[in-house]
Formats: sequence, C-alpha cells, structure tokens
Amino acid sequence: MAERTVRGGPLNAGNTGDAGDPVLAAGIRSFTFHEGQAPALRDVAVSFLPGSFTAILGASGSGKSTLGRLLAGWLPPGGHGTLAGFLELSGTRLEFDGGPGDPRIDPAEWGRQVGFVPQDPATALSTVRATVAEELAFGLENAGVQRADMMVAVDRTARLLGLHDKLGQDPARLSGGQLRRLAIGCAIIAAPPVLVMDEPFASLDAAGIKELAGLVRDLLKRGTAVVILSQTIDALLREAGTWVVLSEGTATGGGPPAAMQSGAGVLPPAVRSVDRPEAAVPAVPLQSKPPAGTPALELRGVSFAYPEAPAPGKRKRRAVRAGELSRRAMVLQDINLAIHPGEIVAVTGPNGAGKSTLLRHFNGLLRPTSGSVAVHGADIAGVPVGRTAASVGLLFQQPRDQLFERTAVREVRFGLDRLVGPETAGDRAAAALQAVGLAAAAEEHPAELPASAQRLLALATVLARRPAVLALDEPTVALDGDGLALLDAAVRSAAAEGTAVVLVTHDLGYARSAAHRIVSLDAGRLVPA
Amino acid sequence: MTTSPAGSGPAQATRQRFSPLTWLAAAGSTAVSTTAAASWPLSAAVVAASLGVTLATGTVRRVLTSGAAVLVPLGLSLLVLHGLFFPEGRTVLAAWGPARITAEGLGFAGQRILLLAAVVMVLLLFSFSVSVPDLVAALSARGVQGRFAFVLASTLTLLPAIAERARRIREAQESRGLVVSRGLLSRVAAFRLQAVPLVLSLIEDAGTRAAALEARGLSSPGPRTSYREVPDSATQRTARAVLVLAALAAVVLRVVQAGTGG
Repeated sequence: MAERTVRGGPLNAGNTGDAGDPVLAAGIRSFTFHEGQAPALRDVAVSFLPGSFTAILGASGSGKSTLGRLLAGWLPPGGHGTLAGFLELSGTRLEFDGGPGDPRIDPAEWGRQVGFVPQDPATALSTVRATVAEELAFGLENAGVQRADMMVAVDRTARLLGLHDKLGQDPARLSGGQLRRLAIGCAIIAAPPVLVMDEPFASLDAAGIKELAGLVRDLLKRGTAVVILSQTIDALLREAGTWVVLSEGTATGGGPPAAMQSGAGVLPPAVRSVDRPEAAVPAVPLQSKPPAGTPALELRGVSFAYPEAPAPGKRKRRAVRAGELSRRAMVLQDINLAIHPGEIVAVTGPNGAGKSTLLRHFNGLLRPTSGSVAVHGADIAGVPVGRTAASVGLLFQQPRDQLFERTAVREVRFGLDRLVGPETAGDRAAAALQAVGLAAAAEEHPAELPASAQRLLALATVLARRPAVLALDEPTVALDGDGLALLDAAVRSAAAEGTAVVLVTHDLGYARSAAHRIVSLDAGRLVPA
Repeated sequence: MTTSPAGSGPAQATRQRFSPLTWLAAAGSTAVSTTAAASWPLSAAVVAASLGVTLATGTVRRVLTSGAAVLVPLGLSLLVLHGLFFPEGRTVLAAWGPARITAEGLGFAGQRILLLAAVVMVLLLFSFSVSVPDLVAALSARGVQGRFAFVLASTLTLLPAIAERARRIREAQESRGLVVSRGLLSRVAAFRLQAVPLVLSLIEDAGTRAAALEARGLSSPGPRTSYREVPDSATQRTARAVLVLAALAAVVLRVVQAGTGG
C-alpha cells in the first residue's frame, strides 16, 4: 500500500517526527460513496498533533470536502459511503473494511472532539433558533451545559468573531460573511481539541480574514489542532506547520510550506495564492474608455430600507408611519452610480455593507425606497423582473440559489428559448458552457458538481443571455485558480463586446486587476475607493 | 420568532410576563371545558372573549382569516347535515322529499358551529400569539426530548423556511426571464416551474443539515438545558394546575350528566 502519512506537527517544531500522540488521525485506503463508482478518496493518511496547524490544499473537486467531513464525523462510514482504512480520535482507533462488522461512529461524541465548519456555512445551522446567541448555544444546550456557563461562552465566542452586536438578530438575516463567522462560532464554542474548516476564507472580507487569522493563532496557543481545507493559499496558511496536497482524491505531497513552495510542480496550478492575485490573473492591460452616451445602468439617488421584519411571532404588521423610515436601518443611502457599455466597475466593501442588496436593485428584485434605477436610460420601476432580465444578467452570491434544473445544459437553456428561439438557444448554451470550461459536464446534475463548477455554471446561465449589463455578486468565491482564469476571461470578453459589468466583491486584489474603476460601499453609502 | 425589533410593543410585553405553558394550559383548558359544557351562551362568551384578546394583541386579521378558512367549510357542512337531516326535527320550515329544513336542526347546527368557532378561535389565538422559541425552550427545560422539541419547532418554522426558499428560486428564475404577473394563471404557471426545484432543494438541504444536527448533539440522550430564559412563577404554576383541573372537572361533570341523563 503506497500510503503516505503526513503528520501535522506542533508549530515551529521544524520536523514531522514523533512529538506525542495525534489527537486525530486517518488512514484512508479508499472511501467510495454508495452511488459512486470510483473512490472519492484513496491512499490518504493524515494525523494531527495537539496545537498543530495543517493546511490541506487542492483544487475544486479534489476530495477536500469529503476528507473534511470524514475527519469531522459528518460523513460516518457506512452511512453514505464505504471506508477501507481507519479513523483515530484521542488514541482510540476504529478500523473499517466496509463490511457489516464495521464500528459505528457516534456523531455527537465525535462532534465534541472535532469542530467542523462546512463550506456552505448555512448548512451548519439548526434553523430552529431565533437569535444568533441561541444558535451559538444550541450545541451547549444539547450537552446540558448550565445557563450561566452558556452565557459566558456565547459572549466570549461572539467577541472573538465580531458578532457581539448581532447576538439578538435572527440568523436568517445575516450576510454571507456574518453567516460564516456564526458557523465558526458554533464549531468552536465548546472548545473542541480539533477544529476542521472547509474553505473558511470564502466570503469573508479583509477584516474577517484578519479576525480568523487571530482566532486560529489563539486556538493553536491553547493547544487546539487546526485543519484548514482550502483551494487558495491565504497568508495565514503560510504559517501552517504542514501542507498536504490533495489531487483527484489522493494525497500527492506533504511537508512544511517552505519546502512545498520551492518544490516545483508539487502544488497543482489550480491552487492559487490570494495575496498574489496578479499571478493567477492573466495580465491583460485594460483600456480605460471614457464614459460617453447613455449609461447602460444608472442609479439615481437610490435609498433602501427593508420593510419591518416580516411577521415575527405572526403579529400584525404595522403600517409605516411618516418619519419612521428614517429611524429604520437604511441599508442603502442616496446611491448614485452610472455604468457605461464596455466598462467594468467593482463595488467593494465589508461584510454586511449592503453589496448584495445594491445588486438586487439592478433588475428590480428589490425596489428602491426612494430614487430610481434606469437601464439604457429607461426607468425600470413597474417593469417585471423577468423583462428587465433580458438586459440585466445577475449572478447570485450563492450559486445554489440560482441552480434548479436537472442538468447543466437545461440549466443554461432555462428561459433562453423564449429570449432567442430554440435554435439559437442551443448554440448559445453550448457556447456558454464552453466558455466556462463545462462543455464536458453538460449532462451532469448541477447539485453534484463541485462548488467551483457550480459557480461557473451559474455564470454560464448569465453569459448565455448576453445581457447589456452583467452584475456579479462575489464571483471569485469558491473559484480555484482555473475557475478564476475562466471567470476573468469571460468578464473581459463580455466587456470588450460592450457589456457593462458590475462586480460586487470583497476580493480587492481581483477588483484591482479586473476593474476600470472601484467604488466602495460602506454603511450604505458609496464612496470612491 | 419574536425577538426581532418588530416584536416589541404592547403585545410582546404582555406575553413576556407569561410562560408559553400558561398560555397553552389556558387555551387547552378553555377548549376542553367549552366542548364539555356544550352550552351556547358559554361558546358565545368564549368567541367574544377571544375576539377581544385578538384585538388587544393585534392578531385579529390573522386569526379571522385563518378562522374563516377552517370554519366556513365546516360550518356549511354542519348546516347542510343538521339543517336538512335532523331526525328529531319537528318544526318543518321547508321540505324536498327526504330532505327537510327544521327549526330544531338549524338551532342544533347553530350551536355546533358556535362551539366549533369557540374552540378554533381559542386555539388559533394561542398559535398566533405564542412565542415558538419560548415554547420549545419551556418544553426542553421540562425534559421533552431534543428531537421532539426540534420537530415541534421545525413544524412551526417550516412554512416560513419553505416560503423563503421558494422566493429565492423564483428570484433566480425571474432574473433569467421568467415574467410573473399579478394574475392567478401566471402565478400558478410560475409555481409549477418552482415546485420541482423546491422539493429537490429541500431534500438536499435536509440531508446536509442532518449531519450538522447530529454532530451538534441533537440526539444526545442526556439532560439538556436552555439558553433562552422563559418567564415563570409560582402563581403561574398554580394557575396551570387549576386550569388543568378545571378542564378535567368539566369532562367528568359532562360524563356524569350523560350517565344520569341517559
């Protein structure tokens, strides 16, 4: 068995030799999903010492999430797939051979030892708790922790994650970045000896990434073993004691970061460094076009506040009285923005600044409380979203919100027949799938594609419509290096053909490399960045 | 969920003083006693009192619309059944062959409808004004199994969650050219397009969430605690005992009466 054991040693230990017993280890000869033919993982052996920091790096679809879920007890062998190999937690080794005599994992017991933050943070939440504080406490409640201790733990965790002013809020109303902080909080609140995080940097703004780095360092100091699964090399991961490279389900390399970075060809090209965006993005000089003529999209004095929280406790919604609006939280305030054909504009800003809310005004999914939105000079007030959609293509932050068909090609063709006729629709769909590198996956089920491919598919559905305005919400999240290059090529080629492009992103590096101009949204106001 | 800003106000303040279990005991006891007593003045009084409370707590529109949805079809069927085919009916107002409208039948149907209205109104008033998180917390604190409390909570939060998911799918479809107008036909057609992805996404979601819930100890057998503090007092505990006893007494009285009368 050509099994390579990669051991995460204590920080600065300088070697991967024996320095105590691992708190968590796995030796996977193979792991195959019940519905899959080929193993999702094979010949992967990892072990994590207390206080060690390990990064498991691989492109989208390399098996990272499967490995993470196995390590965290979220994918108990026997339940959804068959494991041949062993899992070891706190000195207890469980051997599996896929037969009926295999041991069974108690997920709750495992969960007390290994905290896990899934790639989609929303799936970690209970959905039955009314506030962020109660959601944080959910696991503690189930463990029977006394209320006074829970209050202390909730308060401490919320402060660590910058959620202390959100404790009374409904988790369903958090932004993407805040949701990830909450999921991390739920995983660490009971101080498990191991923390596994799947793509934790996705959708976090600069402040969030900095806080996450601080949090990881703090946990390491306290002796927690931290494992981060990622397709991007963030600065924090350079501090890891060990990198493990995963490729097509197999561990292809491992060792200290310095050795891995210098060793040519160890890291797959799809694993990109986010602190060096220019390395991943082809350096094509952008021609700055002087804005002229009618803007493709124009927002004039747009302000917006959400209606009062809908039906909490199923009570009568009171009519908005005059003057009450100003007291309600304004998400957008007096936004003026004009985007001309061929122009690429990036909108950046911290988590929860209202970026996604702004984007939803472009095609009328949200209507401004005051002010107006014009597409090609025509006000879209009163025009159904479905009609504005012919001119404005929107890529949502969560691709799963946007994918609802049975196959990738059906997904791209949805609504396209009506727009351009069946014959052209077929060609357009094929071309769009080709443009995002998914021509071979045309008949696959969107939900079964890896996260990066799902986002690219969602992009294809928008590209196929060839809208005059292309509005993309956090398009770089979950994309590996290959995916980012495809996205970048698509955005540039659309702009070259005269499409006005708006990128909403917290990824300032990508914004700088791709956009003609950058504006920043902060506390609902637009300021030049 | 009652903790958002819109949850503040007089209604919220009133409810915060009472445990949801007290509300549950009051609603249950009233429903049982009214049914057992089967007296139309009591039913009418309960309906009037419920209306008064819904007006005070601002739930009147919801209670009335939901109440009508339940009561109108049931009431009509009671009217047809007892109004036309009441065996003890003597005062015939009109007759078509075997079907005859009798004054006694109409009176009986009226009483039944009033009784039904009283029970439905009380239970609706409870379900529209109780704070679900409080109720779940109160039940968990009394040793109700985590799974059961979760199922109860999700039953009550399921509809909003489904509506939210349906809204996101509709938004995605609208953003790709689906035109949904205000017309009923257009909405039905749009719903047909959303139904399959909605069900598929809910199933997928349930699968992934199950792992998270298990890992967070939902099925743990041991004792559990509650972060949410539910107001309660000795007076309320006494009141609940009295309410339960009153309901029991009403049932016993009814059984005894039926025994001696028949």
